[in-house]
Amino acid sequence: MPIWSMRLEAGGAMLMTDDSAPFREGFDQMLATAAEPVWLTFRRRAEMDRFALLGFPTRRQEAWRFTDLEPLTAAAPLPMAAPLPMAMADDLPSPASLALWLLPVTTHRLVLANGHVVPSLSAGPPLPDGVWLASVAETLRRRPDLLEGAFGDEDGALAALNAALFTDGVVLALEPGVTLETPVEVIHHTTAAGAHARLHIALGAGSRATVVETAIGPVGDGAAAGPVTSWGNTVGVVTLGADAVLTHLHIQAEGPAACHTAAVRAVLADRARYDACAVITGARLSRRDMAVVLAGDEAEFRLYGAYLLDGGQEATLSVRADHLGLGCRTDEVVKGVLAGASHGVFLGTLAVAPGADGADARQVNRNLLLSPTARVDTKPELEILADDVKCAHGATVGSLDEAALFYLQARGIDPETARRMLVEAFAAEVLDAAGLPTALAELAHRHLWRWLDGRDS
Amino acid sequence: MSKLLEIRGLRARIAGGREVLKGIDLDVSPGEVHAIMGPNGAGKSTLSSVLAGKPGYEVTEGTVRYLGHDLLTMPADERAREGVFLAFQYPVEIPGVNNMYFLRAALNAGRRQRGQAELDAQQFLKSVRERLKLLDIGDDLLRRAVNVGFSGGEKKRNEIFQMAMLEPRLAILDETDSGLDIDALRAVSDGVNRLRDPARAIVMITHYQRLLDYIVPDRVHVLADGRIVASGDKTFAAELERTGYAHLVDAA
Ligand SMILES: Nc1ncnc2c1ncn2[C@@H]1O[C@H](COP(=O)(O)OP(=O)(O)OP(=O)(O)O)[C@@H](O)[C@H]1O
Ligand SMILES: [Mg+2]
Repeated sequence: MPIWSMRLEAGGAMLMTDDSAPFREGFDQMLATAAEPVWLTFRRRAEMDRFALLGFPTRRQEAWRFTDLEPLTAAAPLPMAAPLPMAMADDLPSPASLALWLLPVTTHRLVLANGHVVPSLSAGPPLPDGVWLASVAETLRRRPDLLEGAFGDEDGALAALNAALFTDGVVLALEPGVTLETPVEVIHHTTAAGAHARLHIALGAGSRATVVETAIGPVGDGAAAGPVTSWGNTVGVVTLGADAVLTHLHIQAEGPAACHTAAVRAVLADRARYDACAVITGARLSRRDMAVVLAGDEAEFRLYGAYLLDGGQEATLSVRADHLGLGCRTDEVVKGVLAGASHGVFLGTLAVAPGADGADARQVNRNLLLSPTARVDTKPELEILADDVKCAHGATVGSLDEAALFYLQARGIDPETARRMLVEAFAAEVLDAAGLPTALAELAHRHLWRWLDGRDS
Repeated sequence: MSKLLEIRGLRARIAGGREVLKGIDLDVSPGEVHAIMGPNGAGKSTLSSVLAGKPGYEVTEGTVRYLGHDLLTMPADERAREGVFLAFQYPVEIPGVNNMYFLRAALNAGRRQRGQAELDAQQFLKSVRERLKLLDIGDDLLRRAVNVGFSGGEKKRNEIFQMAMLEPRLAILDETDSGLDIDALRAVSDGVNRLRDPARAIVMITHYQRLLDYIVPDRVHVLADGRIVASGDKTFAAELERTGYAHLVDAA
C-alpha cells in the first residue's frame, strides 16, 4: 500500500499523485525474484515508500529552486519502469568509446552498464590483502556484512529511489592500515532511462585509496535540447576511519540526451582526509549532491571542481559540509564555464556545529559566462554555530577579460584560440590546484580539452 | 623607397565618446626609428592602440597603409601576424596562461601566416635562450603565467623579449622606458638596437630624452591634442627638453 502524497497544483486544486506509481510493478517483480538478505528487502520497501512520500523534487523546494527536473520527469511515458536484471549486449560501451575515458595506468577497473557491473569489461591486478573490491551483487552474496551497516535512511527522494531500485554497484572496503596504490576505476555507462547503481567506499583507520568515477553514455550529435532518453541515478556512501585518505575524482561526460543525478554522503573520522574533484561537462541535465560530515577532530575535506556547459545543458553542484569535530578543515573551489544557453548552479553550505571550534572552512565559486544567454545561480551559505572559527566564502560571475583577449591577439593569436586559451586557463587552474596524482590529473585535463575541442563556436 | 607605414588625416574617437585623434599624418620608412613625444593625454597611446587594432576606438576619417595594405580593415591578430608589434604601456596579466606556451603559440601563428614551418619545442627553446641572454632576463619569468606578478620593469622587459622573438616589421613601443632602472634601460635599448634593420621600423613613444640617447631616432615628433604639431631630427628632443611643449600646443 503506497503512501500518497498531496501536491498543490498551480490552479489551487488538490491532486492525488504518487511519483512511485510507474515504478511499482517493476519493483514488486524485482523483489519477488531477487534472492537478497531480508534486511535489504525491508530497506528497499522503506525507501520506495519514502520516495512515494517525497515524489520527484520540484522547484517549489528550496534546495531545488534552481534545478529543473522537468526534462526528466516530463519524458513521457515515464520510461524508467523496471530496472533490467542484467546488462544486455546493447548496453555495453564500445571498446573505442571506453578507451577515451580510461586512466593511462594500470587500474582496478569495474565497468557498469545500466547499473550492472560487466565482468567481461572489468579487470585489474590481484588485490592486496585487506582490500575488498567487488560488485554490490557479489558483496551481497559473499560479504553482506560489509553492506548491512552501510544502508541508512537516504537523504532525499532520488537517493531513496536509488536505494529502492538499485541493481548493482561497487564496494571498496579497506581494512585498517592498508594502502591500495593502484587506483580503482569505476565507469558508469548509461543508455537506459533508469540505471540505479551504488558506490560504497569504506576505508579503515589509516588506510588509503584512490577512486575515479566516470559517467559516460551515447554521445549523440551534440545539441543538448531534446528530450532526456537516459538517466543514471547513483548513490555514493563514503566512510573514512581515523587518518584514512580517499582521493575521489568524478568525471561526468554523458551525451546531450542524458540525465545524471548523484548523491554522495561521506563521514570522516579524526584526521581523515577526503580529497574530491569533480569535472562535469556531460548530460542535458545533471545534479550532484554531496553531503560531507567532518565528524572527527581535524578531519579535512577538499573539493576542487568545475562544470563546463554549453547548449541547453543544466548542471547543479550542491555541497554541504558539516563540521562537528574540533579543528576541521574544508576547502572548496568550484569553477563554472557557461556557454550557449546553459545554466549552472552552485549551492554550497558550510555548517559548523556548536562547539566545533577551530574549524577553518573556505568555499569559492567562480563563474565565467561565455554567452549572453548562459546563466548561473550561485548560493554559498554559512551556518556557523561555533565561536572560534575561520570561514570564508565567495562567488563571482564574470566574462572573459577583454584586455587579455586583445593582448593575445596583438601577438598574432586568432580570437578563437585566444578565447580557448583563456577558458582553459580558467578551468585548468582548479584542476591543477586539486593536486591529483599524475594519471588522474591527466584524465581530468584530457576531459577539459575534449570539452574545449568539442565546442568550436 | 616605398613607405612601411603611411598615416593620412587619421581621426579617431573613443567608441561612443569624444574624439582623441584629430588628424594625424605620419610616414615611416623601412629602417627608420621615430620617436613620438608629447603631453599626457595627448593621444599617443590611442594612436598605438588604433594601429594595433584594439577594440573600443572608432576611426572616423583618414587612412593607414602598412606595406601598401589598408591596415585598418585587418583584424588585430592578422596585423600582428603581418609584422605589426605593439609593446604595451601597461602589459596585461593573464593568469593561468604560461608565458612560454603563449609565446610559442604567437610565434608559430606568425610563421604559419608567412608559410614557414612551425618551430618545434627544441628550436623554440634555443631561440628563447639566445634572446634571454641578450635582454638579461631570468628564465624563471618564462615559467610563470604571462606578466602575472611581474614587477613593472619585468613586464617591460618581457614586452621587448616578445618583440625580439617575434621579429616584427613595425614595432611600436609605448613608453617601454618608463619604470625601467638604469641597467634595464640599457639592456632594453641594446635589445631594440639589435633589432634595427634596414627592413624594419620602430616607433617609440616616450617622455624621456634619455631613451633617445640610447636609441637614436631618425625623426622626433610632438603629438599634442590629437595632432602631430611639430617634427624634427634627433636634436629636436634635446630642444624640447629645454622649451617644453607649451608653445607648440598653444600654436596648434
Ligand atoms: N578607452 C578609453 N575610454 C575613455 N577615455 C579614453 C580611453 N582611451 C583613451 N582615453 C582618453 O583619451 C585621451 C588620450 O589618451 P592616451 O592614453 O592616448 O594619452 P597618451 O598621450 O598616451 O598619454 P600618456 O602620456 O599619459 O600615456 C585621454 O584623455 C584619455 O583619458
Ligand atoms: Mg600613453
